[in-house]
Amino acid sequence: MAKEDKNRFLVQYGEAVGTIAAQSLGEPGTQMILRTFHYAGVESTMSTSGLPRIVELVDAKKKPTTPITYIYLDKDIAKSFEKADEMIRKISEVTMSSVVRRVDENFAKGKIRLILSSQEIEAARITPKSVASKISKDFGFETKVDGRIIEIKIGTRDPKKVRSERVRIMNSVISGIDGAGKVTLRQDDKTKEFYLVAAGSDIESLIDIQGVDSTRIITNDVFAIYRLFGVEAARNSIVSELAKTLDEQRIGVSRRHLSLIADAMTARGNIKGVGRHGLSGEKGSVLARAAYEETIKHLVHAAVYGEIDHMNGVTENVLIGKQVPVGTGTVKLAIRKEDLSRTAKKK
Amino acid sequence: MKTEAINHIKFGVMNPEYVKALGVVKLTVPDTYNEDGYPIDGGLLDQRLGVIDPGLICKTCGARAKSCPGHFGRIELVRPAIHSEFGKTLYMILQSTCRNCNKLLLNDESIAKYGGGKPIDPDALVADGEEGATEVKSVMLKRLKDIKRCERCGTQKKKLKFSLPTYFYVDDYKLKPNEIRDMVSKVSNDDLEILGVDAENARPEWLIIDILLVPPVNVRPSITLESGERSEDELTHKLVDIMRINQRLEQNLNAGAPQIIIDDLWELLQYHVTTYFNNETSNIPPARHRSGRALKTLTQRLKGKEGRFRYNLSGKRVNYSARTVISVDPNVDIDEVGVPFAIASKLTVPFYITEWNIEHAKKMLMSTDYPAVLNVISKDGKRKRVIETNKEEILKELAAGDVMERQLVDGDIVLFNRQPSLHRMSIMAHKAKVLPGKTFRINLCVAAPYNADFDGDEMNLHVPQTLEARAEAKILMMSSHQVFSPREGNVIIGTEQDGITGAYEMTAEGNYVTKEEAVYLLALAGVYELPKEAKNGMYMARDVFSMLLPEGLNFETETKKGHVKIKDGKLVEGRLDNGTIGRGGNQLFMKIRADYGFEELKKFIYRSSKMVDAYVTLMGFSLGVKEYVNDQRLVKDRERMLNETMEKIKKLIVDYNDGKLEALVGYTLKSSLERMIIAELNLVRDMAGKDILKAKADMKENNTAMNMVSSGARGNILNVVQMMMFLGQQATISGGRINRGYATRRALPHILPGDLSPKGRGFITTSFYGGLDPIDLFMHAVGSRGSEIYKALLTARSGYLYRRLSNALQDYYVDVDYSVRDASNNLIETQYGGDMIDPMYTKINDIE
Repeated sequence: MAKEDKNRFLVQYGEAVGTIAAQSLGEPGTQMILRTFHYAGVESTMSTSGLPRIVELVDAKKKPTTPITYIYLDKDIAKSFEKADEMIRKISEVTMSSVVRRVDENFAKGKIRLILSSQEIEAARITPKSVASKISKDFGFETKVDGRIIEIKIGTRDPKKVRSERVRIMNSVISGIDGAGKVTLRQDDKTKEFYLVAAGSDIESLIDIQGVDSTRIITNDVFAIYRLFGVEAARNSIVSELAKTLDEQRIGVSRRHLSLIADAMTARGNIKGVGRHGLSGEKGSVLARAAYEETIKHLVHAAVYGEIDHMNGVTENVLIGKQVPVGTGTVKLAIRKEDLSRTAKKK
Repeated sequence: MKTEAINHIKFGVMNPEYVKALGVVKLTVPDTYNEDGYPIDGGLLDQRLGVIDPGLICKTCGARAKSCPGHFGRIELVRPAIHSEFGKTLYMILQSTCRNCNKLLLNDESIAKYGGGKPIDPDALVADGEEGATEVKSVMLKRLKDIKRCERCGTQKKKLKFSLPTYFYVDDYKLKPNEIRDMVSKVSNDDLEILGVDAENARPEWLIIDILLVPPVNVRPSITLESGERSEDELTHKLVDIMRINQRLEQNLNAGAPQIIIDDLWELLQYHVTTYFNNETSNIPPARHRSGRALKTLTQRLKGKEGRFRYNLSGKRVNYSARTVISVDPNVDIDEVGVPFAIASKLTVPFYITEWNIEHAKKMLMSTDYPAVLNVISKDGKRKRVIETNKEEILKELAAGDVMERQLVDGDIVLFNRQPSLHRMSIMAHKAKVLPGKTFRINLCVAAPYNADFDGDEMNLHVPQTLEARAEAKILMMSSHQVFSPREGNVIIGTEQDGITGAYEMTAEGNYVTKEEAVYLLALAGVYELPKEAKNGMYMARDVFSMLLPEGLNFETETKKGHVKIKDGKLVEGRLDNGTIGRGGNQLFMKIRADYGFEELKKFIYRSSKMVDAYVTLMGFSLGVKEYVNDQRLVKDRERMLNETMEKIKKLIVDYNDGKLEALVGYTLKSSLERMIIAELNLVRDMAGKDILKAKADMKENNTAMNMVSSGARGNILNVVQMMMFLGQQATISGGRINRGYATRRALPHILPGDLSPKGRGFITTSFYGGLDPIDLFMHAVGSRGSEIYKALLTARSGYLYRRLSNALQDYYVDVDYSVRDASNNLIETQYGGDMIDPMYTKINDIE
């Protein structure tokens, strides 16, 4: 296209781009439903996808339902299976309850006996000995290892104490990074490079680990990105997560709509959801808020605090029957009084 | 009367003085009508509150029912009641002030620390790291709540217990409303302002009600039942309750009843006032109708989907509209809509009379031909219906400035809409075309943007009434200008289904039509010249089609079926398919729009879709069971492919059971097996598709089902596989294979417990043509049921997502500098989309 022609394709002044963006995301929502029937079972991904994921993003949920972090490794170890595997041992979060097959409490002796699952400890790349020493270190209990059996001396016979210690021990993290989640190893088909996938999103801790390439760590947790990198990065993450989810469903939505939604959510320097606790609940207009949700709450608040509705938005003006201030409604015609009388005279 | 547009609205609490002045009638009798059926003076339907029966005269303003706006009355409560919605506000004020010195519990120094005595600006936010920003106010309020001693006079703060909605206790003593009023009325305006309260317009003592405002009868009209019995509005019932208790309380007070009885009645009065305002107040049992249904009181009238705000104010009923069933008509243009005569003769378009067109107007008024004038609205707004007998009289009075309402004629701009209106193409402008019949007629090509079909769908039609509205509709909303979706810039109005088959065949190499056929096809499209003759009186079908292409069009693109080339307005290479004549990323339409504009594009879509439909009709095109009958080769292929896959999977399962299977990286052994099996099953499905394509291509015989798949008219190869070969894996909502039903993790008793084989887990090896066995049928039903439930659940969620999004973003518009602004003029984006390009045109740019 010739350069001078570009003007023909610019947005028009006043265009209600917000509404168009909302429609562009809202309209295919119904299509996502139908698609599942045709495409389900083809490739099941571990993470939340489709409409639930979109809702989660747009709502600005503090934690994604299925946090995932892709961790790429430093170039020198990325090609080595052993070294990548070693990284898993370092990172993967293993809770006691996930490796224990059976727990026995001996209240009379004040002892707890753990029987570890050989399969699980192997998968977690730990040994009974390391588990036992971890318990001694974290809780200060005396431990005895016999094969896969660990005996812990609690030092009291109070059944209540023993039981509460059992819960604490079972919930404790015995290996890896708290918040990293379970980490698995993957291999890139093209580059043959090994990388890690963690079912957690604690990128603040992960990024500093030796061997992790800090420039190539990607998470789907928008708030984790916001905390570590700030609001601009979070904005980009919202856009790319929305785009990724839509692409998976093979729904084409222009990035302009997605970035407008992300910009709206982050325009105030933090992340706001679109619902009644976010953008809609913080609108300047009392009437617009009252017409949306929690009608009475907003009217009462407005009365006590003497709010003024300046009638600048769409909803308010629809309510009172005035022209809406978007699109052609943004344009106003003014005429000078003198000019008016001049035309009258001419006649 | 002088009228002004509303500039702004300020909210506040009503001053008792004002309430007293506004409530023109003091109501004393807790009843409505006397025995004679007349409204009781001082009763709830006192004629001074306004009248609703036609013919009666309002005793306050002297106007009749139509022009009397209604007047408020008042009930003077003998003991005050707290306005239940403001309990929290009162609590906040009581918590924050000292009972001894009646000042704020903080001294000036502390107040300054929390942002001073300035009114709270909603934008005055303090960035507070992780949890986002917190208002200064809320930090201060928390401090005020926790403070133990007045910082000014040092008085110990007494613990105040508050329980929703209106109960306040100090040391187990329940505070009476008047005691609360005494406390809050001592707090100064200045102190209240620091708390953010607009003291000038919302003194806290006003929140305790002595005089209850009674809405006019217009707000709570009584209705007369068929039996002649009167039935009162629910609000009236509630007010009667309040007045009754009020009267009883007064009698008991006068009689000097014991305090405990007084307190009980007072409590009851408070209950009625609370439920009068909000019958869904938490911790309060709702007041009920005789039938046991909860009453709808003031709050219920306002809130929710059926409340005043959303039902009556955000959405309004309109005149000048029509609704009926829709049907197709290929002779109706893309930007036309066929309107049944019965509707067109009722709908009207205003005709504004000026001194220049008055002669024409008079002629129109007197004419007996179709567009008759139905009404005349004179300058002073009086509307007169035109009938045979008063025509002459109206004619005499007709003057410039009057408006005539004439019937709808061909070419009038109307808006056409189908719900749910999910995107802007759900409402488009069309030119009316008055037709016989009883349905709205549209071109098949515009069904897609409306998401309409013709199995009984109904649509709405609106006639814009002002010149501005008509102009805007014509310039911005015409369906011919909505060919591209603003969602991604794809074509959304294009040839559909059989038309694509027609275009695909018509533009195929070596298809010829006779001269008669060529003339027929071209005349349909309104072309009255013939292309160059190809051979012995025959014409190439493709050349006939080329006649519709805009003159001088040059265009090239790659389709699934190869290269398409249009040179100088003539198709010289390739066949048109879904990608070049249908919906989607149609580059041909984009090229025409870019080079020739929307009018030419509309012409092309309309004429070409009509011609290719006619061609496919001429040619004949039918789909039957025969398309899905397998020949020997395909039967053998199917056997072989399924056997191979089953063998492979059997081996996987054996390996798994023997512990020989190696887990995939990152998966447990069990899920590895599951993934490997699913991968095999997907593979065989894809292989089957490729096999069918290949076999059909080798056979050279014309298979209409395959034809539709390859032209993109309808269906894909997966559908063909399901009909000819096997249905494949049926999925559950969770995406995995079917594995539940019985405790032994099997779906049916016919399956062995723990069976991992494809058949046992919902892989169907039979086809629609061959028929399903009972187990397969069951598995298929599992899949269908799952998707049906999923659909129902997600429709609701998706609808709510759309509502929230559109509500949050609706104020955003593009400013003159291409920045995006919201209603409060906040900057949302510095440059729309980063490049200012309208997404509707983003795919056009790809052309060159």
